[in-house]
Parts: sequence; C-alpha cells; structure tokens
Amino acid sequence: MQFSDRINGGFLVVLGVLAAYGGSLLPPVPGQPVGPNIFPIVIGVGLTICGLLIAFGIGHNFEAEEKIEPTADGSAVATRSMWWIIVPPLLLLFYVFAVEWLGFVLTSAIIAFITSMSLRGTLKIAIAMAIASPLVVHLVFAKLLRVPLPAGLLPLPW
Amino acid sequence: MDAILEGLKLVAATDVLIALLVSAVYGLIIGAIPGLTATMATALLVPITFYLSPLAAITTIVTASAMAIFSGDIPGCLLRIPGTPASAAYTDEAYALTKKGQAELALGASLWFSALGGIFGTIALMIIAPVLADFALSFSTFEYFWLSFLGLMCATLVARSSPVKAVASALIGLLIACIGMENPGGTPRFTFGVTDLLGGVDVIPALVGVFAVSEVMRAMAGPPAAKIGHKSLGSILAGQLELTKKYWRQMTRGNVVGTLVGVLPGAGADMAAWVCYAISKRFSKTPEKFGTGYPEGLVESGAANNAALAGAWVPALIFGIPGDTITAIAIGVLYMKGLNPGPTLFTEKASSMYAIYVIFMLANILMIPLGIIMIRITTKVLNAPQSAVMPLILLCCAVGAFAVGNNLFAVVIVAAFGIIGYVMEANGFPVAAMVLGIIMGSMVEQSLVTSLIKSDGGIMPFFDRPISAVLAVMAITALLWPLFFWLIKRVRQATARATA
Repeated sequence: MQFSDRINGGFLVVLGVLAAYGGSLLPPVPGQPVGPNIFPIVIGVGLTICGLLIAFGIGHNFEAEEKIEPTADGSAVATRSMWWIIVPPLLLLFYVFAVEWLGFVLTSAIIAFITSMSLRGTLKIAIAMAIASPLVVHLVFAKLLRVPLPAGLLPLPW
Repeated sequence: MDAILEGLKLVAATDVLIALLVSAVYGLIIGAIPGLTATMATALLVPITFYLSPLAAITTIVTASAMAIFSGDIPGCLLRIPGTPASAAYTDEAYALTKKGQAELALGASLWFSALGGIFGTIALMIIAPVLADFALSFSTFEYFWLSFLGLMCATLVARSSPVKAVASALIGLLIACIGMENPGGTPRFTFGVTDLLGGVDVIPALVGVFAVSEVMRAMAGPPAAKIGHKSLGSILAGQLELTKKYWRQMTRGNVVGTLVGVLPGAGADMAAWVCYAISKRFSKTPEKFGTGYPEGLVESGAANNAALAGAWVPALIFGIPGDTITAIAIGVLYMKGLNPGPTLFTEKASSMYAIYVIFMLANILMIPLGIIMIRITTKVLNAPQSAVMPLILLCCAVGAFAVGNNLFAVVIVAAFGIIGYVMEANGFPVAAMVLGIIMGSMVEQSLVTSLIKSDGGIMPFFDRPISAVLAVMAITALLWPLFFWLIKRVRQATARATA
C-alpha cells in the first residue's frame, strides 16, 4: 500500500482542488462576509500546496528511515502478501450486513474465527476464540452495559 | 477546603474505585502488548464510559493511559519492541541493559520513575491549571483560534516524518471535520446525500478505526510476533533509591521538561520522551555511554513521558484543546459527562477537579504494586499469540463503535478509517495529526469564522491583541520552522563552499 510521493502529492492536489471547489459552491450566510464556505476553501488551498510540495519531494529528507524490526532470534521473516490487510475491514462490513439477520453471537463467532485463522492461528486457537470471544463481548456490552445486540438466529439463553 | 473534602468523597465511591482497579489492569495489559498503544486503550474505553458516572469515566481514562504508558516499557526492555510509541525513545537503551543481564534494573527504573514522573506531573497540573484558568478567562475567539492552530502545528512537529506530510495530515483531519451540518451556515456540507453523514463523522469510530483496526491490519500483513522465553527476574525495586539519589537532577529535569511538553497543545508523551532522551544525552558527562545500557537516559525520559501525560490535561481542561491524542479522546468524554472544559470548570466544578487530581495520584501510586505484578506475569502476556488477541480487539472495535449511538453506520466508519489510517501510516503521513484535525476541526472553524465576522473579514485584528499576537508568532513559527531549518542549512553549505 505504499505509493510514490508523486502519487501521494497528486492525490492531495486533487483532493484540495475538489474541497476548495466544493466549498465555494456552498451558499453564504445572508448579510455576513463569511459562511460555511471559507473553511473548506482555506483547507483546500492548503492541501493543494502540501500536495505540490510532496509531489516535488520537498521535506522528504525529514522522514525517518524505514526500520526493519528485528525478531527475537535475529532472523528476518518475510512479510506477507498485502492482500491480507483487507480482511479486517471486510469483516467489519460483514458485521454490518449480517448482524441483524444472523445475530450477534453467530456473526462475531465467524469474525473471530476468520481473524484468528488469517493471523496464522492454529485451528484449536481459532475455535476457542470463536466460542469465547462472542461470549466475553456479549457479557461486557450486552449484560453489563446494556447495549442492544441483536439476537438473530442464535439468542443466548440469558 | 470544602471542595477538597467533597472531591475526596466523590473518589471514595464504590464505582470509582472499581473503575480505578479494572482500568488499571486493562491499561497494563494493553500497554504491554506490542502494537496496542495507550491511545488505542483509551479509544476502546470510550464506549464503555458512556455507561459510567462522570468521575468513574474520567478515572478509567486517566488510569488506563498512565498504566499503558508505563507497561509499554516492558516489551521494549525484554524484546526491543516498544509496547507504545512513548517508549520508543529509550527502547534500545533498556534492551541493552537487559542484554547485560540487568533486566530487573531497567524494568524497575521504568516503573519507579514512571510513577514519580506521574506524581510530579499531577502536582504541576494542580498548580498550573488554576493559574492558567484565571488568565484564560480574558481570552477571546482570536486567542482561541491561534491556540487551536498552535495545537495542530505542534502535532505536526511531534511526528518524526516529513513536516509537509504532517501538515497535510492535519488538513485532511480538518477537511473530515467539515462533513455534516454543524457549520456556520447550518447547510449540509460534503454529505453527498448520505443521511448518516448529516451529523458529521463521529470522532470515536474514526479513532477506533485509525488506532485499532489499522493495527489489526498491520498484524495481518506483518511477520509473526516475536516470542520470548521464560525469564526469571530478581527484585524489581532494588537499587532504585540509589538511582534516584544518583540521578535526581536528571529525574527532575525529565519531570519538568516532560510536563512542559505535555502542556504544549498537541505534543504528548511520545515527544516528551524523545526530547528528554536527547537532552539527557546532550548534558550528560558521559554521553558516549548512551545506547550501551546506561540508566541515565532511561531515568530522564521514563520520568518525562508519564509527567507529560498529566501535563497534557492542562490545556484539555482549561481550553478544551487536547495536549495529546489521549486527552483529545478525554475531551469528548468530558463534554459527554457535562464537565465541559473551560476556565470556569475550576470555579463551578471545583470538587470534580480535586477528585480528578486525587485519581491521578491514586493511579500513579497504584502503578507500583500492580506494575510489579505485571512485570512478574509479563512473559505470559507477551506470549499470547496475535491470533488470540486480535479477534477480540476487532470485535470490540465493531461493538464499541456501535454502542456509541446504537448505529451500524458507525461500524462502516470504523472500517473506512481503518483503511485510511493504514494507508496514511504506510505512506509516512502521521495519523495522530489527522485525528487532532478531526477533533479540533469545529473549534478551529468556529473561532476562525466568529473572529472573521467580528473583524468584518479583516486579518489584522488577529494580531492586534497582545496575547493573540504572541500565540500567532508561536503558531506561525511552528508552521515554518522546517523552512528556517532548510535555509540555515543552505546558508551554511554556501559559506562552507565559499571558504573552501
């Protein structure tokens, strides 16, 4: 997910221009010199300037060198494919769409199981987490804090 | 005097004491796990504070953050992986001591000087806050504008990355704060027709996403966590009194500088530790020993980060301007609980203020016994596999964000900010600056627009009032310092070339 500073800067310029343009379209407060438009315009201009500076590599020499964190035994372990990072956000979206229908216990058990397995967990740990974590979270949030968690297909007996 | 007694009575309530103990244990555990920061511990606590009494809510935040900042030193010392960013400054030093077989000395120093630093910071908070509050009563929107601007700029200084990227991060945060109807015109702004965005982007789900979900994402892509074998440790506190006697000057300097850095809006414990480690090395009689397992720098910076934690509450309580990311979250909780930050807090809610001071003291005193227990069982916590910790964190993110408003859209925000936080961090944009931007956005805008209306669109009144002018100079210097730095370097190079 690392982009070149050209792309980072370019993105910020586009964002800044859009923010300033979007801001300038907002209706002013009648009878006042300023309204809801001024702040987005100022931010937009600032972002555009920052974007240009970044694209031209200004300020780059302040950045700390990328450090490779040593492991306990000193060996370097290869990092994994970047695609893994999309798992947690997808699981959260799964929660949003499934929780009303499946209920909290089943949804969170699935999420816990997949998270655990994708983090190189053993089947034993993953199953244990799938059983234990919904119960713990339910106990804290639903029982103690009275957050209404949907029961869905598998309501807890208490 | 009555207010003090009243404050003590408030603290003695059962729910407050339970909150103190539970959040202490929680903070110690989160802080000790590498990758889980004190800020994240606080962000995950917020949904729970909704259901607590005002003082119990503040107690959980104060205690959990103090404990997490200390226990972040533990993995740094044993594994050379800082548990929280605030420990990063002296991780190499502590690890070098461990390699020399003096792990208990390093851990003991972390614990002992953390607690002393925290107590010093609290006393400073008790003294500075009321004085500054008196002073702050005369502040107008111009001062508030510059003060919040200064806070944002300091946040960009803290980040050890490109200053341009840090400023850009803060601006992105401010832009996110623009979303919604809460603006001077009351018109929907940048909502793109999404009803859920009319109320703006909620800060808590954004925080949870940036600080917690992005961490789970990093764990997915990164190498498996390092393991630590069983370590037996000797007496933890032995030798600490000697160290205190030997390095009392360094300790005091660390406390004072740490508190001051904390009071500075936007700069918190991380910055305090880095600054104090550098100062310690600069003024040491034996700077060559730094980095080889020498306790001097450890004493100074370990004392500093905990002192900064209390110092950060000064601007938070008086101006509602966060001293660091933890108080940024705490401010939200203060508003929610009717303890609106402001100079009048010290007169109208004096007993609550005293109660908060007492909580700070108790938390730092409690840190010593609980910290010793934590160090003893630490090998077990550190060996907990990511595959067992992260599922629980992810579920707490989802349910915690939902609990804030019983709204599933908050969970979508969490996911979105997880991605934003991850991508920004991977590209060298400091996320803390963005978070402060989101939190302070409405304050910056309100003070800017009100000031502009007062001045009829003119810029000069922003510099007319004396305090406002001083703050303006500070803020603009903070914005432009990298330019000065660069110019000085160019001039030096030019003169060097001319003489050669």
